Amino acid sequence: MKVISRRISIALLALISVLSFTSCSAASSDLQAAGEVLANTEEGASGAEIKTSVHSAVNFDHELMPYEPKKDHYNFYFTYKTVHPWWDAVALGMEDAQRQFLDKGITVTYEYLAPESASAEDQTKRLLAAEEAGDYDVIGVDVADEAIISPILDKMSDDGVKVMTFSSSDAADGCKRIAYVGNTHNYEDGADLTEALCKKLNYQGKVAILVGSVGAPCHEDRAMGAKDTIAKYPDMEIVATEYDMDSVDLAYDLTLQILQDHPDLDGIICCNMSNPVGAARAITEKGSDAVIVGMDHDQEALHYLKDGVIYCLGVQDCYSIGFDTLQIAVMIADGNQPGELFDEKTDETTTVIYQEDAPIMLSLLYGDE
Amino acid sequence: MMKKRITRKTIILTAVIGGILLMLTVIGNTIVSSRQMMTATDDAVSEVSSFYLEAMADQRAKTIANLIDSNFDDMEKAVAFIKDQGIKTDQELRDTLGSVKSLLSLDGFALADEDNIVHKQYTTYTGGSRHAFLSEEEMEERDVSTFSNYGSTKEVCLAAPTPDLQIAGKPYKASFVQFDIREIIDLLAFDDEGRTYFGLYSKNGECLSDTDLGPYIAKNNLFDSIKGILPEDEWNTMHENFSNGVEGDTSFTANGVVETISYVPVENTDWMMAALISESVIHDRLQSVREKSQTLSNNQIIFILLFSGIFFLILFLMLKDLSKKDLEAEKENTRTFRHMANTDSMTGVKNKHAYSDAEAYLNQMIRDGQIEKLGIVVCDINGLKHVNDTLGHAAGDKLIQDASTMICKFFTHGAVYRIGGDEFTVVLQEKGYESMTQVIEEFNREVEGNIEKNEVVVSIGYSTLTSEDQCVHDVFERADQMMYQRKQQLKAMGAATRS
Repeated sequence: MKVISRRISIALLALISVLSFTSCSAASSDLQAAGEVLANTEEGASGAEIKTSVHSAVNFDHELMPYEPKKDHYNFYFTYKTVHPWWDAVALGMEDAQRQFLDKGITVTYEYLAPESASAEDQTKRLLAAEEAGDYDVIGVDVADEAIISPILDKMSDDGVKVMTFSSSDAADGCKRIAYVGNTHNYEDGADLTEALCKKLNYQGKVAILVGSVGAPCHEDRAMGAKDTIAKYPDMEIVATEYDMDSVDLAYDLTLQILQDHPDLDGIICCNMSNPVGAARAITEKGSDAVIVGMDHDQEALHYLKDGVIYCLGVQDCYSIGFDTLQIAVMIADGNQPGELFDEKTDETTTVIYQEDAPIMLSLLYGDE
Repeated sequence: MMKKRITRKTIILTAVIGGILLMLTVIGNTIVSSRQMMTATDDAVSEVSSFYLEAMADQRAKTIANLIDSNFDDMEKAVAFIKDQGIKTDQELRDTLGSVKSLLSLDGFALADEDNIVHKQYTTYTGGSRHAFLSEEEMEERDVSTFSNYGSTKEVCLAAPTPDLQIAGKPYKASFVQFDIREIIDLLAFDDEGRTYFGLYSKNGECLSDTDLGPYIAKNNLFDSIKGILPEDEWNTMHENFSNGVEGDTSFTANGVVETISYVPVENTDWMMAALISESVIHDRLQSVREKSQTLSNNQIIFILLFSGIFFLILFLMLKDLSKKDLEAEKENTRTFRHMANTDSMTGVKNKHAYSDAEAYLNQMIRDGQIEKLGIVVCDINGLKHVNDTLGHAAGDKLIQDASTMICKFFTHGAVYRIGGDEFTVVLQEKGYESMTQVIEEFNREVEGNIEKNEVVVSIGYSTLTSEDQCVHDVFERADQMMYQRKQQLKAMGAATRS
């Protein structure tokens, strides 16, 4: 997700239209989604465009790709960073794909497990245990720490285990995992949210960055995008960078501390799902005017957005991540490699939404008017 | 006759007045009864709607409570079944969960172990953040909850603790089923053509069923929706009832429509079932009844008016017929009286009274100059006294009748009057006037012939109207004098005279 000119955006949309007409369905849907993100984050985009993008920010209407699995039963193991509603949303997409396979007479069983708090060591143990069990067609992982996990995945691949990554964090570049399904633009997400914040603050002021788990690629990449964006503006200053370890309570405590240390704080950049909730609670409690930008679709965060406490949120399409992860896992289990059937990195969209979009998103995700 | 006529009129008058009064009474009574029925219906609407709604809400609440109980019973059976299986591996557990699903039709049945790992037939996942009931370290009692799933579906979760359940040596915390709340709501729906609404609510007024509670509240928070349009004390009462799980009802007006809500708690849950109906719907429903009643009343009134109309028409015709007959009888009587008054009973010609009337009429005509030709003939029977004295009054009467007959025989175009015992007068106009001289000559010849035959002899004198005459009597006087002269002539010819 980048801030680009209107001209480029229009050109991209034109390209999308051409691709649509030439029936390049898989590729075009990715590009279209990317185009929507770009169009939505484009400054000056019309209200109608924003609304259309908001409605398609999360796609609950999926069908399996026209691929004939080679077996009638598959067994997978998936592990992710930590127990958190964000991954519960991913799980719903997986379950949808599982039902659709079952309707076709193909049984897909899987384990979808995570520790109570993010831990690369715990993830390593889980991966090795799954490899040792030896009865999984594919092992998938949402990388907790790319530096620690990537070598593990390489070894598993060398051992003949079919390994994939998914959701928000890929392994390090060059890792031997077969494919990744999820957010491929975390850095851009962080940069775009920060750009929106800078514009709102008229490119001057003090900001803090809240990050999720230490070492989690998605969180770190967003934080990096945020820092690089701030660095472009001489009148902007980062006064604090803190990790909440994906805990709302910790995010709240950290924000209170930051506000105490910097009462003149102008903005907070939140890099995960728990950050904006904790930050908004603290900001509301203290009556601060700090502008919050953040990630994801937490219901409480969406209400803060609706109420104007949060300025904007980057909403990822978790449902599609889950759905695509499972159907690509089946293809990988059948021995397929990235190429015609699926990309080495299947990108999923992020849509930046603002106050006026909050009711639609609340209705779309939670039936909450 | 007079007494009979009064009685008849009285009866008719009484019938008419009585009929009108009766008609007005029946119509008035019909209208009043109709209005009273409508008022009573209106009063009943509120009571019936509350009662109806309460029953409706209660029925649905019981359906839900029964469904929940049934699910919990099935879950207990499932856990008992699993205990008996001696499961040792994850695969055996999945197979057993599959059996439970088919045996008990528990589609969403799952077990959660002490680490909050959820085990389903095809999936094993970490459920700490997904299922609220797992946030408790130990589960002590059944839990019924709803939540908004990512993707906007509202789901129901029924969870029960499984304190004695161990599988492959690992303690299990709970069993649960989770399903879309619409599965419950679909069971509650019935086709009443959109006349009533219902909704399942949390205690804070959040709509759980995703159903419209009428067009005004729709799917919104119940308390937020009616705050401001419901009096504060009633709003507070309702809010308190929801909080305490107490049934109740209330009415409010939104957009000019009176809405009634009844709510009852759903047993063993934190939910409230509410049902709503618009009073207008009941009124619409009753409209056909009202219309029928109104039509019946109108028909009654029309029937009464029609019946009364026919009755009065018949009465009028009868009265008219009766009056006509009375009038004709009266006219006949008048004619008879007049005839009797103006006719000489002995001779059958007009009498002195009739002559007086005729004389008065003619005098008026003379005064008005409307008559020019008028002849008066004065007749006197010769020898009547002599006959009476010698032959008796019967012979005398016979003479008078013969004289009258003779006069009438000749003066066929004149009006003959007997104005005295032996005196007649003939009034001649038009044709009688024109032929007067000729007739008198013929009459006199007849009379003169009768002298020799000793039959009736009548002396006549006549005169016509002149311009100097002021009245009939002037003409009469001249005719009378002439008659005396004729009498002397006839005496000379041998006719008997009075003297």
